[in-house]
Amino acid sequence: MRWILVFVAVLMGAPANAQTLAIVNARVWTGDSAAPIESANIIMRNGKIIAIGPSHAVPDDAQIIDAAGRNVTPALNAAATQIGLVEQGSASDSDDRSVSSGPLGAAFDVALAVDANALTVQEARAQGVAGAMVYPDAGQGIFAGRGAVLHLSPGPDIIENPRAALFAVSGSGASSAAGGSRGAVWALLRNALNEAKSFRVAPPSNAPRDDALNALDIAAIGPVLSRQIPLVISAQREADIRQAAALAEDYNIRIVILGGAEAWRVRDLLSRQKIPVILDPLDDLPMSYDMVGARRDNAALLHQADVTIAFSVSGQGIYLSYNVGPALREGAGLAVANGLPYHAALRAITTGPAALWGPSSEATGVSGSGLKAGAKADLVIWDGDPLEVSSAPVHVIISGQDISLQTRQKQLRDRYHPSRQNRVLSQGYP
Amino acid sequence: MTANRVRSLVFALCAAALLAVPATAKKGKDTSAIRTPDTGTINAPQSEYRPLPRRDTLFINATILDGAGNRFTGDILVRDGFITAVGPNLPREADITIIDASGRWITPGIVDIHTHYGTFLLPLSAGEYEVSDITENSDPNVAETWIEHAVHPTDPAFSRALAGGVTTVQILPGSGALFGGRSVVVRPVPAVTLAQMRFPDAPQGLKMACGSNPANSFGGRGRFPNSRQGEIAGVRRAFLDARAYQMEYQDDLQEYLSGKDGDPPRLDLQKETLVKAMQGELPVHLHCYRAEDIATWINVLDEFGVKIAAVHHATEAYKIAPLLAERGVCAAVWPDWWGFKREAEDAIPENAAFVEAAKGCAIMHSDIPLLGSLLNIEAAKAAAAGRRAGLDIPPETAIRWITSNPAQTLGLGERTGMIKKDMLADLVIWSGNPFSIYTKADQVFIDGALAFDRSNPAYQPQSDFELGRPQKGQLP
Repeated sequence: MRWILVFVAVLMGAPANAQTLAIVNARVWTGDSAAPIESANIIMRNGKIIAIGPSHAVPDDAQIIDAAGRNVTPALNAAATQIGLVEQGSASDSDDRSVSSGPLGAAFDVALAVDANALTVQEARAQGVAGAMVYPDAGQGIFAGRGAVLHLSPGPDIIENPRAALFAVSGSGASSAAGGSRGAVWALLRNALNEAKSFRVAPPSNAPRDDALNALDIAAIGPVLSRQIPLVISAQREADIRQAAALAEDYNIRIVILGGAEAWRVRDLLSRQKIPVILDPLDDLPMSYDMVGARRDNAALLHQADVTIAFSVSGQGIYLSYNVGPALREGAGLAVANGLPYHAALRAITTGPAALWGPSSEATGVSGSGLKAGAKADLVIWDGDPLEVSSAPVHVIISGQDISLQTRQKQLRDRYHPSRQNRVLSQGYP
Repeated sequence: MTANRVRSLVFALCAAALLAVPATAKKGKDTSAIRTPDTGTINAPQSEYRPLPRRDTLFINATILDGAGNRFTGDILVRDGFITAVGPNLPREADITIIDASGRWITPGIVDIHTHYGTFLLPLSAGEYEVSDITENSDPNVAETWIEHAVHPTDPAFSRALAGGVTTVQILPGSGALFGGRSVVVRPVPAVTLAQMRFPDAPQGLKMACGSNPANSFGGRGRFPNSRQGEIAGVRRAFLDARAYQMEYQDDLQEYLSGKDGDPPRLDLQKETLVKAMQGELPVHLHCYRAEDIATWINVLDEFGVKIAAVHHATEAYKIAPLLAERGVCAAVWPDWWGFKREAEDAIPENAAFVEAAKGCAIMHSDIPLLGSLLNIEAAKAAAAGRRAGLDIPPETAIRWITSNPAQTLGLGERTGMIKKDMLADLVIWSGNPFSIYTKADQVFIDGALAFDRSNPAYQPQSDFELGRPQKGQLP
């Protein structure tokens, strides 16, 4: 059967360290331009794209993949997920998303917990995800801790940029941790920034302190004050988003809004202050009183107002880490169905998110940048329109390597395939 | 009419209504009278749902997925809320409103057999304490509870589902109890009371749950059951008790009706619900994930003659697809949920397609309100995964997973879920192929009446909850 042949081909093909890889006859969405390049060749060497365009000659020594006119995009980039921090939701020994006791608040560093062998990483990679911001959940207090940017090259070394952002929570979900009111969140956040600021001016002496934060947490806030990293604040309600914007102005810090269900109502302010929003394009229900204004054209309205957007698709928590790749594409597709231009949706799930975590507000040019000469060779060949849920990767290239798409799920699929139902030995035998 | 004749008629009625009890019977020891055979069993009240205003309509030139496995281009004639003809070039009679669906697709209205609408009430923030009534969780057997007594029609999820092409919704109790109680089937139309939404004459169902949820829910409180084996013991005990009750009840009833005993037997609604399940009157909807759990429960329920209509969630249905097909048990699944709990560890996207390949009955369900308006997209994912595994799952097959297959598990397979003569005119006009992310439900018809229209705000229901909220307001 055809699927078996494909399976065998995947197992046998793709030498891991091919020096030169060429994709020919591709329909390339670079992530930067509004229209694709038709019939393009992409030449990759040593993990980088060295040439891209309609008529580039293919070097003799190149391993060639014929895209047969299929869509090629930059690899997916998840602006906020928890792959590598969680594998099995109900198993405490495979869940390291948050700390709920002990001294760590803002200082919690998820990079120290990321497990490259987690099935959530395996799945994400085979789904075409190469970049991801992995963030902590708030387990105690209003600071969740610091997130890490991952680059999912095969192997154990997937942390590209640890402590790349500080995460805090606001809104009704955070009010109990703050003492019982959404307002307390903002008072505590301002106090934390004040304490960290004082700490920078006058480092601790032996004199008695009455700071609310311990030294670990205060130190973790420093890079936010110096604008090295953004403070990502979970906020859905218009009132809380406005508080976040005020914080950005008063402390001259970089703020990113995570959630932003009602961000469309504040879009001019967000645009003026250059505050990006990581939103969930599937939101259209008042899941909480913070989200009464949720609507499916949120992404389109923000984009129209020139607000930088990226996506984090939650699926009530299920999609966030377990189906991060398909969920990003579904979210982007639904955003297009509700008015977002196609290339803007594609950018929001590929090249866009890297700009959120760079040292400035511009793209870093490292992973996540568009498909062009000199960029990292992270891309995906799709079997259809990448924004359709029925599409899937045919090849995933990360750092110029044509990676295996084999996963535990695909092995279960093959083991229980209908064509194997009548075998003599049970399914448990190879 | 002789006394004997009356008694035999009474018994015929008892068999039909299962457990007749003379609710208005006189007290006392007057043994001379022959009792009135009125049935005291408590049935669901009559529906107060009335179809919306409707016109006889001819839908023309649509690409039709009929829910019976066919795809063709043609017309659909609807009169008095029923489909009266389907085919190419139907006559355009003078009194008929014509809707041109050229370039668009028409499917049966979507049937969602697993929701908690109105009980997992949005917004959820206050829900746990005030208004969330997913399950009566005080006992592992709450078969006597009816979820319809908790449904709040103002849940915004109803109108979102309607806008997503859903025309029939089952609201189930949750999965904390072994016997979670009876379900209710409704139309997702604006209403003030549950009765105004109730699908006329739709059977109730019985919700049951296997595996982690009941064991954790009760074991976590130091109660029975705290294990899978305990759950089976509890289920058997409950059915054995119900069986004994039924026999005793019938004996007592006979004595009462014959005048030997002055007191009518007392109805036990918990046991009566199980008796109805044993007699096939209440379709059983079983929450169960793992293959061996499903196989075990199929066999244990079979000991009591109970057939499972659908196993819900069923993340490992693909491992026992031939068994499910052979036993006529549908698998209601998500296309892509895995990992969020241990029982879902082995879920794969090809689950539904493998069930289909075994000639079984696959269904997409929502469970969470977000997915209630995306069931066509859920089916698209599952069908595509099957195609990539080499299976032939065209749109005319995948549509059955959200129309005729779920309708059949509700006992409504002869009334909705298919586009054919004499079926209710529950129809969706899609802007294109319903399995594309870019496609939207243009118009949704229930009983032949327009219930939602994407281009006409007058046909876009808004719940009381959402009314007047500044956050929902016009663009500032």
